[in-house]
Amino acid sequence: MASLGELERAVMERLWAADGPVSAPELRDRLADRGLALTTVHTVLSRLEQKGFVVHDEARPRRFAPRATREEHAAELMSEVLGQAADRQAVLARFVGSVGDDEVRMLRALLAGADQDGAGTR
Amino acid sequence: MLPATALALAVLAALLAWPVPAALSRARWPRRDPVAALVCWQAVGLAGGLSIIGALLVHGLAPWGDSLPEAWWHWVTRHPAEQPVRGDHWVAQTLAAVLAAELLGVLVLSWVRTTRTRRRHRELLELVVRPGAATSPAADSLLLEHPAPVAFCIPGARPLLVLSSGMVAELDDAQLRAVVAHERAHLRERHHLLLLPFVAWRAALPVLPAADRAHDAVRDLVEMRADDVALASLTGPDPRRTLAAAIVAAVGGPGGTVPAGALAVTGGAVAVRVRRLLAPAEPLSRAGRGGALCGATALLLLPTLLLLLPALV
Repeated sequence: MASLGELERAVMERLWAADGPVSAPELRDRLADRGLALTTVHTVLSRLEQKGFVVHDEARPRRFAPRATREEHAAELMSEVLGQAADRQAVLARFVGSVGDDEVRMLRALLAGADQDGAGTR
Repeated sequence: MLPATALALAVLAALLAWPVPAALSRARWPRRDPVAALVCWQAVGLAGGLSIIGALLVHGLAPWGDSLPEAWWHWVTRHPAEQPVRGDHWVAQTLAAVLAAELLGVLVLSWVRTTRTRRRHRELLELVVRPGAATSPAADSLLLEHPAPVAFCIPGARPLLVLSSGMVAELDDAQLRAVVAHERAHLRERHHLLLLPFVAWRAALPVLPAADRAHDAVRDLVEMRADDVALASLTGPDPRRTLAAAIVAAVGGPGGTVPAGALAVTGGAVAVRVRRLLAPAEPLSRAGRGGALCGATALLLLPTLLLLLPALV
């Protein structure tokens, strides 16, 4: 039995690959190699809807579509990681924060000059 | 007895609200011993809260008894006050309650909010990252397709370590190992828990410059601590230089910089990190470290004793 997270990813892959909105039975057929019950597909879809990754239309039966592309989700995540939110470092520990161009030049000079002179004052 | 205690606590609170954090954030020894400095900051935060709330409580409950435990007991058991209760006693009681509720409430709120944001990030990551995309020096990390050189970890019950493809492209294997060791140090030592109260109290006390100072100092100190831990686990000819080069490469890559003026928040902190890697200062002597730790202990004992001692003598 595959984990729910892995199933969610598989469902998203199929939705992203589809040309347009897909109904749950169609989705089950596209995932035929996994032999899923329709209720399982519905469970996964409603979880994905709760997380805001999937939307459905009002057709009967309902058809499901991804809310955004994988790239858009990646960009959303990165903009938060790169952002300057006040509590960002408490949410996730980033290796280094963003710095200005001037400081980058200064840091490169520091690294290059480390052999001759290391005594950093201030 | 009681008014003197309240006064002493108020003086202590004032010292901890301004001169002590100012001196500690200006001092240069913390970067030689981030652990001792982190202990000091936690003590400053705790003692500060304890002394200001204690001062208000001691004054507010003064009519009910000679010491705080006694007065508190009389107040809780609805004993009639021994002395007339004036308006300022009620004001002090109310302020103590409001302040305590705010500090604790904001702490809980921050915790809930950061946990929720982390869960959201984790969901996005699980969705976006293709499985099996990990690279050799960091086998258990996730690889995020993005040109900016970024590495970060999401702490929690299921911690995640994430490297961007830009980071992997920008750094060599030794540097990547250094980055991963640094991030893993954050996770192992639970640095997010050290930072959380300061994030919360900065939000709760926006008028207090010390709250800002304390937050920034703690944020920078955990980075230095993670650097130190990473160095200890790195092999290779010059791990200090490797880690410093990784830092510089990470800030200098595409998307690593932000337009001047948009930052100033982290200004200088990265430079301090690189400098202490390239030109390490002597670690703090045993006496120095002992002194710092004794100071932190004393800072915590002082308000505690002021609150409890009058009951014992």
